[in-house]
Amino acid sequence: MNTNKRPSPSLSLLLAASAALVGHKAHAEETSTAPSIGYRFNVYDEDAFSGAPVIGSDKRYHVDTQQLDFSGNVGERNTLNVDATHEVMSGSSPWYSIPGPNNKPIQVLSGATIRDHRSAISASLMHDAGGNSTTTGSVSYSAERDYHATAIGLEHTIPLNTALTLGFGGSLSHDVIEPTDAEIFDRIRHAQKNTYSAFGSLSWVLNRASVLESGIQLNYQSGYLSDPYKLATVGEAQLPDTRPDRRTEAAWLVRYRLAINDNAALHADSRVAVNSWGQKSVTLDASLYQTLPGDWQIIPGVRYYTQHSARFYAPFFDANDAGSFYSSDYRLGGFGSVAGHLDLRKQFGRWEFTAGMERYHATTRYALGGANAANPGAVSYTRIFAGLDYHFD
Amino acid sequence: MRFEFSTMGCPCALHVEDVGDDVARRALAATLAEVDRLDRKYSHYRDDSLLATLQRSSESIDVDDETANLFDFAAELNRQSDGLFDITAGKLTRLWDGRKPAQKEIDAALRVTGWHRIEWNRPTLHVTTRNMHLDFGGLVKEYAADRCAELCREVGVQSGVVDLGGDLALIGPHANGEAWIVGIKAPRAEGKAAASIALPRGGLATSGDYERALIIDGKRYSHIVDPRSGWPIEGFASVSVVADSCLVAGSASTLAMLLGIERGGAWLRELGLPHLCIDGEGRISGDIKI
Amino acid sequence: MRPDFRLLILLVVAALLAGCATKPVQPWERGRLAKWDMRWDPDPMQAAADDHAHFSKEGTSGAIGAAGGGCGCN
Repeated sequence: MNTNKRPSPSLSLLLAASAALVGHKAHAEETSTAPSIGYRFNVYDEDAFSGAPVIGSDKRYHVDTQQLDFSGNVGERNTLNVDATHEVMSGSSPWYSIPGPNNKPIQVLSGATIRDHRSAISASLMHDAGGNSTTTGSVSYSAERDYHATAIGLEHTIPLNTALTLGFGGSLSHDVIEPTDAEIFDRIRHAQKNTYSAFGSLSWVLNRASVLESGIQLNYQSGYLSDPYKLATVGEAQLPDTRPDRRTEAAWLVRYRLAINDNAALHADSRVAVNSWGQKSVTLDASLYQTLPGDWQIIPGVRYYTQHSARFYAPFFDANDAGSFYSSDYRLGGFGSVAGHLDLRKQFGRWEFTAGMERYHATTRYALGGANAANPGAVSYTRIFAGLDYHFD
Repeated sequence: MRFEFSTMGCPCALHVEDVGDDVARRALAATLAEVDRLDRKYSHYRDDSLLATLQRSSESIDVDDETANLFDFAAELNRQSDGLFDITAGKLTRLWDGRKPAQKEIDAALRVTGWHRIEWNRPTLHVTTRNMHLDFGGLVKEYAADRCAELCREVGVQSGVVDLGGDLALIGPHANGEAWIVGIKAPRAEGKAAASIALPRGGLATSGDYERALIIDGKRYSHIVDPRSGWPIEGFASVSVVADSCLVAGSASTLAMLLGIERGGAWLRELGLPHLCIDGEGRISGDIKI
Repeated sequence: MRPDFRLLILLVVAALLAGCATKPVQPWERGRLAKWDMRWDPDPMQAAADDHAHFSKEGTSGAIGAAGGGCGCN
C-alpha cells in the first residue's frame, strides 16, 4: 500500500471531519504526571578572586538552597504544583571598582556579609480545558530581609492541529526593596519595582523522534532598577549605582529535542535577547540524556553565554564622561561564559535519586565580538546538587 | 496482557504490552469507563440515552461538542454517499432485525427516515418529524475504539490494540516496532478467521452481514438497509478497511457495503485505503496483504 | 552581533518549513516522544534552580514562560 500517495478528495474530507473527534495531544508534555514529592539540596560556591587586584575579602558568594516540591491531581482535570525554597546566603560581593595602575580596574568587595536567608513559595494549577488545551495559573512569593517579591502568572496552550501547539501567557511581579544598613551607607530606604511580562510560543512535532519550540518573550520593568548595595566610581567620588527607571527587553527562544535512539535524546536550546539598556545576549545550551541499563540516566551538557555591556556600564567613570546613568555592576558588563555540567539519575521502584555538578566560568575573553570594557567582577562558580523524588503511583 | 470484556452487545478485548500491572489496569479501567460512557450516551437500544432524548424532543436543542462533531461527521458521510449513509434510518434498520417486514411497515418507516427531516446547524439540532429514530450504529463502536486507544496512550501504554467486537484501534506497535497481526472474521463461518493481516496503523473496521443476516425463501438479506428504498442491499458479505482511525475505517466499510459490489469496490479503490471484500460466494478481493 | 542574528533566523525558518512539509505524526507513533527524556524540562525543579543561578549572575532574564517572582540577587 503506497502510503505516500496523496489522499483522495473523499478521504481527505472524511479525515478532516473525523479529526475533531479524537483530539490528540501534540506532545506528551501536557500529560498529567502521577503525584510526586521531591527534595533538592543545592550548594552554590563562587570562586575566590584570582588574577585581578582586589581590596577587601577575596571570598565571594556562597548559597545553600533547599527545595521541596509537591505535585498532585486535584479532581480529574487539574494538576497542582507547590514549591517551597529556602536559601542561606553568605559571603561578599563586588561593591565598586577604582582605576589602578595603567587604568586597570581594581575590584573592591564588600566585607563578608552576615548570613542572610531567603524563603520563597510558589504554586501553580494546571487545568485541562478540554480539546487538549490547558490553562495554568501561578502565584509566588519570595521574602528576604531586604527584598519581598510577589508574582502572578497565567498561561494557556491550544493545539492548532495534530502537530502544532500554540502557547501564550503573561505575568506580573511587584517587588519591594528595603536595603539593610540604609542609614549607615546612605542608601534609599524603600523602593519598588514592577515587572510585566508576556510571551507567545509555537511548538511543533516534527516527526516521531523530534520536536521544536520557538517563542518570544517581552518584559517591561519600571521602578527602582538600580542596585542599592553597589557604587560606581565617578571621577574621585563613589556614587550610588544609578540606572534608568525603566527597562524593556525582548527575547527569542528556540528549543529542540531529538530522540537519537530509544535510550538517548539530545536537547539543544538557544536564546537571543536585547534590552533597552543596550545589552544583547546569546545563550546556547546542549545536553545529552543517556539512559543506561539498570534504570540509570547520565546527562552531560555544555552551555555558552555571551553578553554585551549596558550603555552606561564601565568599571569606573571620568567625571566629565559619565551621563545621568552609571553602573559598575559586573552583571551589566560585557563577558562570555562557558559552563559544563554532569547529572546522574537512578530509579529504585518509586524512588528516584539525582545528583549533579555544574562548573561555570565567566570572563571578558569569552565574549563574542570581544568585551568593550574590562569586567573585573566576572564570576566563576561551582554548583553541586543532590535530590530525591518519590512517585505516588 | 489481554483483558476480555463485553459491551455494546459484542465480545471485546484490550491487548496491552510492555507495561507494568498498574498501568495496564488503569488502561483497562479507562477503556471500560469510556465504553460505558459512550454506550449510555449514544446507544439506540436505551430509552435514557442522549440520542433517545434528542429524537423525542420537538424543540431545538444545543448539543455538546462531542455530539456536534459526530453529527458533522455523519453529515459529511451522508453527503459523500448521496444519502446512503443515514443516521436517521434507525426505524428502518430495526424493522429488518430478525424478520421480513410488510411493505406497509416499510413505507411507514420511510416516512420517518431521511436526513432532510432533521435540521442540523451546529450546535443546534432540531428533529422536526415525530417518531424518528436516530441510529449512530455505524459510528459509535468505531469512535469508541479510537477514544479508548487514545486514553490508553494517555495513561502510558505504548503497545497495544483495542478490539471492540472486531473493530480495532491501534494503541501502538509492538515494542520492537513490528505491527500487530490481527484476524478478520470469516463471514458465515463461526469463529474462523478469513484472513490475518498486519495492522501497522490506525484502525481496522469490518462491516458484515454474517451475524445478523436473514434467510427468507432461500434468499439472503443483509441487515444493512438502503434508506432510500427501505430494502436491504445485496452486496458484499463483508468489507474490512484499514485507515488512520477506526472511525474512518468503519465509515468506509459501511459505505462500501451500502454501495453494493460494483460501486462499492470502485469507491474503495478510489479512496485508496487498504481493504478486503468478501462476497456472497466467499470470493476475496481487495488489496490488504494477507 | 548582527551576522549571528541572521544565521539564527535562517535556521529557525528552515526548521519551520521542514515542520510544515512533513507528514503529521500519528497518535500511535508518538510513543518515543512521550518518554521522559524528550520533555521540554525533564526535571523542572533542576531547571528552575539552573535558571535562578544563571539569572542572578547574568544581565538578561530567564527562560520562556511566565516570569517568576524576583529576588534580591539581581
